[in-house]
Amino acid sequence: MSEPASKPINNREAFKLLVRVLGYALPFKGRVMTKTALALVGTFPAILLPWPAKLLIDHVVQGKSPEDSPTQYPFFLQPLVDAIASASITESATYVFWWVSLTLVLIGAWHTRGRDIARDEFAEGHDAATRSEKQANFAYSFMGGLLGWIEFRVTMRLSQVLNHHVRSRLFEKLQRLPMAAMDDRRIGDSIYRVMYDTPSISQVLYRVGITPVVSPIGIALSIWVISLSYGHLPFVVWSLVAMVPLALLVTLPFSGTVRKQAQRARDRGAVTTVAMEEGSANVLAVQSLGAQGRERERFASDSWDSYEEYRRYIKLWLAMIFLAVACGLGLGVWVWFNLTDRVFAGALTVGDLSVLAAYYWQVAFSAGRLGSVWISLQENVAGLQRVFALLDMPGEHQPDHPKPLPAIREGYHFENVGFAYPDGTQALSGVTLEAHRGQMVALVGPAGAGKTTLAYMFARYHQPSEGRVLVDGVDLTDVDRDALRKQVSFVFQEPVLIDATIADNIRLGKPDATLEEMREAAETAGALEFIEHMPQGFDTPLGRNGGKLSVGQKQRLSIARALVRQAPVLVLDEPTAALDPETEAQLVRTLQKASRDKLVVVIAHRLSTIRRADQILFVRDGHIDERGSHLELMSRPGGAYRRFVELQSVAAA
Amino acid sequence: MRSPNGLHPAPFPCDVSDDVVRCPFFAASVGSEPDIGAKQGQRAVNDGRENGARPASAVPMTFRGLMRLMWRTLPYLKQASRDLLLLGALALGLLVVVVPIALVFYDLAYNRMLLGKPLAAYQAGLFRLDPAIFVDVEALTVEAREVLRMRVVVFVLGAAAALAPLGLLFYLWWVRLQQRVNQALRVQMVQQVQAMSMRFHSGAPIGDSIYRAYQDSAMVTSLMAMMVKPLPWVVFTILALLAFLALEPRLCLLMIASYVVMFLIARAMTPGMRTRFRTARETNSELTSRIQETMAALKVVKAFGTESVEQARFEEASERAFDAACRARMHATSLQLVGFVIVALPAVFTAVYAAVLAGREAPLRAGAAVGLSGYTAWSLAAFSLAVGRAISASRAVSRLVTYWSETQDMAVGMDRALLHADLEPEVQDDKEAIPFPGLQAGVAFRGVSFAYQKDRPVLSKIDLELKAGEVTALVGPTGSGKSTLVNLLLRLFDPDEGRIEIGGTDLRKLQIESLRSNVSIALQENLLFGTTIAENIRYAVPDASDEAVQAAAKVACADEFIQEQQGGYHGELGERGSKLSTGQRQRLSIARAVIKDTPILVLDEPTASLDAETEMKVLENLATWGQGRAIVVIAHRLSTIRRADKIVYLRDGSIVETGTHAELVQAGGAYRRFVDLEQGGDLDPEQGREAQQDKAQQGAKQDKAQQGAKQDKAQQDPGGVREVPL
Repeated sequence: MSEPASKPINNREAFKLLVRVLGYALPFKGRVMTKTALALVGTFPAILLPWPAKLLIDHVVQGKSPEDSPTQYPFFLQPLVDAIASASITESATYVFWWVSLTLVLIGAWHTRGRDIARDEFAEGHDAATRSEKQANFAYSFMGGLLGWIEFRVTMRLSQVLNHHVRSRLFEKLQRLPMAAMDDRRIGDSIYRVMYDTPSISQVLYRVGITPVVSPIGIALSIWVISLSYGHLPFVVWSLVAMVPLALLVTLPFSGTVRKQAQRARDRGAVTTVAMEEGSANVLAVQSLGAQGRERERFASDSWDSYEEYRRYIKLWLAMIFLAVACGLGLGVWVWFNLTDRVFAGALTVGDLSVLAAYYWQVAFSAGRLGSVWISLQENVAGLQRVFALLDMPGEHQPDHPKPLPAIREGYHFENVGFAYPDGTQALSGVTLEAHRGQMVALVGPAGAGKTTLAYMFARYHQPSEGRVLVDGVDLTDVDRDALRKQVSFVFQEPVLIDATIADNIRLGKPDATLEEMREAAETAGALEFIEHMPQGFDTPLGRNGGKLSVGQKQRLSIARALVRQAPVLVLDEPTAALDPETEAQLVRTLQKASRDKLVVVIAHRLSTIRRADQILFVRDGHIDERGSHLELMSRPGGAYRRFVELQSVAAA
Repeated sequence: MRSPNGLHPAPFPCDVSDDVVRCPFFAASVGSEPDIGAKQGQRAVNDGRENGARPASAVPMTFRGLMRLMWRTLPYLKQASRDLLLLGALALGLLVVVVPIALVFYDLAYNRMLLGKPLAAYQAGLFRLDPAIFVDVEALTVEAREVLRMRVVVFVLGAAAALAPLGLLFYLWWVRLQQRVNQALRVQMVQQVQAMSMRFHSGAPIGDSIYRAYQDSAMVTSLMAMMVKPLPWVVFTILALLAFLALEPRLCLLMIASYVVMFLIARAMTPGMRTRFRTARETNSELTSRIQETMAALKVVKAFGTESVEQARFEEASERAFDAACRARMHATSLQLVGFVIVALPAVFTAVYAAVLAGREAPLRAGAAVGLSGYTAWSLAAFSLAVGRAISASRAVSRLVTYWSETQDMAVGMDRALLHADLEPEVQDDKEAIPFPGLQAGVAFRGVSFAYQKDRPVLSKIDLELKAGEVTALVGPTGSGKSTLVNLLLRLFDPDEGRIEIGGTDLRKLQIESLRSNVSIALQENLLFGTTIAENIRYAVPDASDEAVQAAAKVACADEFIQEQQGGYHGELGERGSKLSTGQRQRLSIARAVIKDTPILVLDEPTASLDAETEMKVLENLATWGQGRAIVVIAHRLSTIRRADKIVYLRDGSIVETGTHAELVQAGGAYRRFVDLEQGGDLDPEQGREAQQDKAQQGAKQDKAQQGAKQDKAQQDPGGVREVPL
């Protein structure tokens, strides 16, 4: 498989991840603080809301005076209570109406049950990926009304900037992976990580970063208010306090399992994305090999698997909630017995019971959120790990203090260069060579000999694992990567075109190329004729990966793209394989001309291309077996190159 | 909006601004007529309209549009319909049982136990309680209340223990049903997209397909929920209105008035909401494509050092997606929050007004109220009832409004998803299509013409026969239509004019599956999958044995290097087989074609990236293997071409010459010139000498090598005589 599947981690590592998430949130600390402050404000409605109904019942419906009330009203209600004390029923009602309307507009609430919260009830699906879009734009407020609106917006913006920040870093890293690591990546997996795994970050920030601050305050507030009025019943207070450790005790044992299941769900989701991406990208192979049914089956089973994993994950959550509710219920029944005893004895009224019940639920919810803090972290660790694993991969080598690279004057000197892939495969060893401006160097040899790997060294797509590459006497390792690549034009074996116009594709090499320059490059690459045949010429859009162009046409475009740069070093990996002889001959002539003031490195199989090189390097099994000009090498009886040429001639003649 | 062009002057002028979407495919096809849209889209790609602007907003979706959308979704719900009905019936049944029981217990717990009122006779009977203590008394004693408390607790806990698992089960069942429906839709979408011709694919970003199949299709589950969820809220609202009608009709009117205001506001905000949700989906889809495309072209990005340009484009696309999502969501949330205030204000008024009425003990208006509440005048109980109803109604209406917003998003997503699910492949099975008839009569192209774009013919009037046991080489300059010819043979497209016959049957009358399973092809672009080597070889024949895989690999001269790979045949390949060299991938493609063991074999530049030695071996193996089959080879290399029984020289979409190598060289036409060039006949004078020397040396070795290689043809070959113009 592409990426090492996410490894299970222990709680300490989970904690480290949390610290790292907070690090990513640091640039947005202003927003985080605003959000926290608003969330704190959001705990107040719970304290304000039980009272207006009591005011109405006691002083409007029953017409009692507040002065006779056995319950001490909280200080923040005192002005309202004072006003009611000296007012008629209708006036009292009016005062309560204005007070309640105010809270309604401000926080969208007027009654314990009559309250609104800014929910993010947007549609989502039933597997990890389809839920993630909502998470990326996650927003929530326990208030409604004006403050709820503000908190909702602040939260959404915070989620978004944080996710934007992280996914941009991820994308940056993906682009900066070394060629050797890139080969192992699946595009679908990359999409999944950037789009669907990153929202875990904001989830962790809220549930693990902000909830532990806000929930305890909410709980403390509720308990404080309760103890004001019911302080004479210590068991009420203590049972409320007990809910917090209870919630933690219930959820902790689940954390490992939840994390593993979340990991499985995400890995499965990425597999589905890969199946979809590959099927679409290789659609020509799928159709021409008659494999549509097979691709369909593959996608269907991958997709269903990802659903199944998500369902297992839901089951886990349900089991946990079930257990938590059972424990809470046990505690509740005990408290209820105690309270009803007092009701029977006439020490409490039924109204007290309902106020206490409201607070009990309040605290239970907060405790539940607090209890789920650790489990949320575990749940999101899966996504985080997939994000961080990628962010932590070593990027392409770039020295800390890169030396500037003036225009290459002389050329390259390879000193005993070796290269091994990350998986240990030795691709090159002991390569020593000289390649100078003014030369055309041909790399020749059987398939899989290491020619492309060697060619990659010229642009430092690979970093030598032994020996060194010097350019104008400077070790390539110390040179600025971008400065180097500006001077090396590379044409890859398989032409890659972007979904834009022909001109855009050519201008990739040189953003400010004029039409004249483009025409010249295209003509040299043998592309001008077909370009001019296109309905819109250079402005013809190409569609996905070159769309309707034949492979040979694509190859010529990618050569034109390299030529237009006028870079001092030009590396071509089998540029002529898909070209017809006419175009090839023309191209090779041009290359030869170019090599008068440039270094041209070309990998080729065709004799017609090779024999014109100033220096031929015959590569086999990662070594340079022979070197020299065509004539020199041919004069070596039994030489590897000679045998290579003979075989080709036999095949051709 | 800032112009993206302004930000990134080059090299990507074709980008998206807020309302200009690059891909004309969805531009042309959003709205109510997706099929037509899709077809237009296909052509539009070829018309080169990719940079074109699309109308700022999609065709607005009316209520009727929504209904039609639901209608189109029905086929996907059908397969779950039995489960849905069963689940609905069971849930309803459960509700019918649970609700009355709950009411009885509410009464027992509050009125009887807490307030100490005596039980009704049936309640005592139900719990086998002594009527003398529990029914025929003024008030319950503390002991009696304690006994009752115990019964209530035991029963409630027992019921919870029994019902909770059932509820969990129902929920899981519901989730599974939703997933099943979503799965059916997703699979259909992916299947349709993959059945589309290359015309579609060159214009449809992969990222867009992914986004549709994931995010958009998930909306079908919301659609299912939409059919069920709002019902209780509607019921609550109606109940509340009825209660107020009885208590105080003026309050009822006030509430209705607030609902009307609510409705008007929602209606005014809806079109904007749809547009915003659509933009949110489109920008997210665009972002997905952005990632996919950059990843696919990463090598080039590196080579030309355009990472920062790509980074800027990505960040802009990401920001745009977030901005769009924010706008859409804030729009919906504003409606929700404002809506609640609007419907809650009358509820507040109702509560306060009811309190005043109760304080005055005002008489109830309607006689019906007597029956309803058991009271004749406003009281604490009537007040509680009023407040309770007002709360539940305002909540229900507010939920309905929230739900309406969600539905808009859902509808937009469904529209996008169904567009792909309903795609009609350009090439489809004829109703009376027959299976592949066998190759005895060969393949015949009769006057075949074809164009990807109307004004640019790729093939014109092609007449060509491919016979069993014959190797036909298609030769000609790049872009002369060779690959297109093969695409037509595979029916990836249908010819615009003329027809292709196999065994006298028009290709259009053959089952596509059957046709394609009788043709194997090694593609020019070596498309490999990120699985194991063995899986890639047996891609078209999943049940091929390991031995068969190895045999095919041997024919393609791939066995040796595969054995050397880590893990051998079961070694994993990276993305698109990127761990292998092009030559190695090419051989895997050939093995993949060989293992299909079909009467027709097409090799599109099979050996372009092979070194001479390997090429020769592969060709020899293929010659032995291919006896009795029709083999078509597209090639530039003389070494490959000359072995063909028939050479077809194409130029600008027409056949210029046909014949054997010897015949054509003798004829001295276009093919002859091609041969000359291929043999390096254009060397400059000074290098010519060098070349002649080479030749002399080669000549010396040639005989020996030929004996080993059994190249009878080569000896009598006039192509061996090189003409070097001096």
